[in-house]
Amino acid sequence: MFQQMRKKSLGIALLLVAAFCFSLLTAGCGGAKKEESKKPVVGLAISTLNNPFFVDLRDGAKAAAAANGLELVVMDAQNDASKQMANIENLIQQKVSVIIINPVDSKAIVPAVEAANKANIPVITVDRSAAGGKVVSAIASDNVAGGKLAGQFMVEKLSGKGKVVELEGIPGASAAVDRGAGFNAAIKAAAGIAVVAKQPADFDRAKGMKVMENILQANPEVNAVFAHNDEMALGALEAIKAAKRTGILVVGFDATADATKAVNEGVLAATVAQKPKEMGKIAIETAKKVMAKESVPATIPVGLELVKK
Amino acid sequence: MSEEKKTRFAFVRNLGPLLGLIILCIVLTGMSDRFLTMDNLLNVTRQVSINAVISVGMTLVILTGGIDLSVGSILAFSGSITAGLLSGGQALLPAIAIGVAAGAAMGLVNGLLITRAGIPPFIATLGVMTAARGFTLVYTDGRPITGMQEAFRFLGGGYIAGIPVPVVIMLVIFIAAHIMLTKTKFGRYIYAVGGNEEATRLSGIDTKKILLAVYTLAGLLAGFSGIIMASRLNSAQPTAGAGFELDAIAAVVLGGTSLSGGVGTIGGTLIGALIIGILDNGLNLLNVSSFYQQVAKGVVILLAVYVDKKRKGG
Amino acid sequence: MTPLLGMSGISKTFPGVKALQHVDFSLRSGEIHALLGENGAGKSTLMKILSGVYQKDAGEIRINGETVEIANPKQAEAHGITIIHQEMNLIPGLTVMENIFLGREPANFLGFIDWGEMKRRTEALLKSLGTTIAATDIVSGLSIGEQQMVEIAKALSVETKVLIMDEPTAALTERETECLFAIMRQLAADGVGIIYISHRMEELFALSDRITILRDGTYVGTVETKTAVFDQLIKMMVGRDVTERFPKQTVPIGGEVLRVENLSRPGVLHNITFSVRAGEIVGVAGLMGAGRTEMARAIFGADQADTGAVYVEGQKRTITCPADAIAAGIGLITEDRKHQGLILGLSVGENMTLASLDKCVRGGLICGEAENEVVAEHIEKLKIRTPGAAQLVKNLSGGNQQKVVIAKWLTTCPKVLIMDEPTRGVDVGAKAEIYQIMNMLAAAGVAIIMISSELPEILGMSDRVVVMSQGRIAGELPTREATQEKIMAYAAGGSE
Repeated sequence: MFQQMRKKSLGIALLLVAAFCFSLLTAGCGGAKKEESKKPVVGLAISTLNNPFFVDLRDGAKAAAAANGLELVVMDAQNDASKQMANIENLIQQKVSVIIINPVDSKAIVPAVEAANKANIPVITVDRSAAGGKVVSAIASDNVAGGKLAGQFMVEKLSGKGKVVELEGIPGASAAVDRGAGFNAAIKAAAGIAVVAKQPADFDRAKGMKVMENILQANPEVNAVFAHNDEMALGALEAIKAAKRTGILVVGFDATADATKAVNEGVLAATVAQKPKEMGKIAIETAKKVMAKESVPATIPVGLELVKK
Repeated sequence: MSEEKKTRFAFVRNLGPLLGLIILCIVLTGMSDRFLTMDNLLNVTRQVSINAVISVGMTLVILTGGIDLSVGSILAFSGSITAGLLSGGQALLPAIAIGVAAGAAMGLVNGLLITRAGIPPFIATLGVMTAARGFTLVYTDGRPITGMQEAFRFLGGGYIAGIPVPVVIMLVIFIAAHIMLTKTKFGRYIYAVGGNEEATRLSGIDTKKILLAVYTLAGLLAGFSGIIMASRLNSAQPTAGAGFELDAIAAVVLGGTSLSGGVGTIGGTLIGALIIGILDNGLNLLNVSSFYQQVAKGVVILLAVYVDKKRKGG
Repeated sequence: MTPLLGMSGISKTFPGVKALQHVDFSLRSGEIHALLGENGAGKSTLMKILSGVYQKDAGEIRINGETVEIANPKQAEAHGITIIHQEMNLIPGLTVMENIFLGREPANFLGFIDWGEMKRRTEALLKSLGTTIAATDIVSGLSIGEQQMVEIAKALSVETKVLIMDEPTAALTERETECLFAIMRQLAADGVGIIYISHRMEELFALSDRITILRDGTYVGTVETKTAVFDQLIKMMVGRDVTERFPKQTVPIGGEVLRVENLSRPGVLHNITFSVRAGEIVGVAGLMGAGRTEMARAIFGADQADTGAVYVEGQKRTITCPADAIAAGIGLITEDRKHQGLILGLSVGENMTLASLDKCVRGGLICGEAENEVVAEHIEKLKIRTPGAAQLVKNLSGGNQQKVVIAKWLTTCPKVLIMDEPTRGVDVGAKAEIYQIMNMLAAAGVAIIMISSELPEILGMSDRVVVMSQGRIAGELPTREATQEKIMAYAAGGSE
């Protein structure tokens, strides 16, 4: 009986391991990681890879890392601040040379940044910033300027008059705050424009659609929508289409592939192009400079442009 | 017989998960030279501690044959309340006590819905899960809360004798829960209620009181872990803890506790939580894409439970 | 003449247990053949092999002289073998006809279920069984006896040559049992061979043509019922002489311990008034549904009674929950051991101390030594056959499980013990032991209320008999004046 039980216990254990190895193999990394690489390692803790913008950012960083002879370790926090904390702790454990952080939340990231500071690993932030800790360089689109671009475009298209909806990003995220600030500054210039609804949809397409559906229910007249990112803008477009409403001007932000296509098709009025790939690339180049002990600027704004048909 | 005895009262019910954990560690040690360092082990246990503390409460609930989906929301709720009080200038201990009490109160609501209103645990806690998340968003206005006093960070980020405070807390809670389950009347009655509620009631035991206490404890522990998390992140996130209930359930089930109640150990849960945490950590260290990490976690949970079921059936 | 069914040299081993060794069995068509043996003798294993649930390790099964292999229940069904299990396999939320045709629903030309056809065929079946159940009744609304009828109808809805019935009368009332027997005799007359498993010896004598006895997985012998003698059968079963079926001892009867006055709950219990004295065993007889279990539960506080008073040793006690009853010195051994008496996943010891755990607590913690001592004492005292206190109770036989339940109540030191069907599903040997325990308790001055549907047990063990009918006490008589006829007359509600 005991013998049998032991055998079965062993069976469970082996299966657990088998499952683990299986997942490693399917990941295609099982063997590759064993090879000793002498390349310096840079960690990239990204907020989520469930969003094409950050996938672009990662791809830009990956390409730049390969070009600069660096190894890049990417970690995905799935938009969970505590998971990001764990990711960064694990990067510290790996003793990477530089950690590039794309924070889930600007404030919640502070203890993680401090942990890296303690371990003497330089930190660079991309896209979103950290509200504390020592960051050698913060790379971000000039979101306020971007919001302004969108706002000015809207004012011009509406001839300074109309009812406007603002779909906000994750509350408290610096991109959401800045884009909103820029946008609101721009439309304040035109007295005839009123913001009839202002709701967070967390940078998420499905949420953008849902929130927009509700807003459309509540507001019989809407002339334009500004979404803090393209995902929400595309979600809003779906909602507008489903409600069979026409003549609503939708402006997004980020110029992802989907959004650019929508602009070319004339469905989306405009989007503000951030350059996520460029951002990833600049982050890696900055990391390289930091490793070489060169001085880097505390903030590096990345250019923006309005994409319209 | 002696074996029966061993398995009934042991910290861990069967050796499968423990062996799995050990082999997992050996494999990881072989694959990454960073894995088996004191630093990383402390790091992993600290990462595990929050889920582990929630899982203690979940173990009690599952032992009674119930389920608690609200723990993730209660975590955010309690974390936000304590953080809010602290940033409003409240003293440290009262703020923590109120946060923990808020979690316990939510748990009590679960218990009342289940025992007084007769709503099945799945639905009752689903409702509280949604409502608690809503309360949290209302309370925080959807924004993270920061600006707590520096001393608060000790709870999640400090060390006692070189061991991270959350790990110490986790160990204390596990030992207390183990003693409670094996050595007290309350613990015995938890197994009894999960094994056969009617027979327990007819043995003169107030089963409703037991259930109320169990759900309240689960809420309390979830709330407490929320406060640890707020301390660790030095900010309370209104969206924190989403999906944590599933990690906790996975840890409990991996540890050999039966979802139908009445069978399981607290030590098994610790091992279950460690397996999940170490899997995350190891896959991180090995730089496996996060998408595959989720596949791996899912496969491991399913396999472990399947093998356990086979073992019991065969 | 070749028998309908022949099984020879059947062996089956489970890990660590030889469940069956070279067992022979034969069944003629038109015969009712009883299978007798204590729990664990191998009756169920043999029947599971026949019905395709288990595979035999060795031996041969012949049907009409031809050797057949039965690899699964589907094949058994194809050979015309149908089993009606002790635990019913009906789906409570479905109708009678849906249950009967589950998995074999008649279809119309479109492939949809042909409800009309299903209903017609069900009605024909039910009519042939002489019941008043409607095809469209929901099963959960039927009595246990009626559900049994549905099981039988289900068995007959396929062509059945061999019908296996495992303790079909365990939950039936006297009247339902009679009705079932009439149907079985009719089926046998139509040429069906019936294998019948029951612990009730009276039934075997009344019903069967032959009796085959198994003991410890081996074949002991087959006897013609006509020539069989009760004591001989018991000896074959148990392997030794069981001297007395009802070893009732007379003990001095003391003062009144329990008095129940005007216990009532509308529609269920009406003005129940009676008393029990120290050392006295009061048998409670009545038909199923007469309110006996309801009365026991009301006294014990399991269900709230609306009005009435309970006195223990002259003191009025307010009992609103089982804990109150235990505090007053009342224990209840429920009729449903598995669902209400035991926690199957816990050990023998943990079950025993469940109602009296307070006594084992030292300084807030359960004291292992104190607990083990209590448990060991009761295992010894009640002769519970278990490998140890830590054995899970679900691994024990029915009789030993019942003793664990009794032990649970003894640890509370009850003044009054209510035993609801204390020997149901318990084999002959263990029955005698349970009666001995009752004697022991009576001798110690415990007042015992024994609810039983087996009249010989009531007559054999009680000092006094209380008969219930439709929620009332219909009559009360000392055992020496009681006969089965008198009790049945009261139970049927005839004499007031």
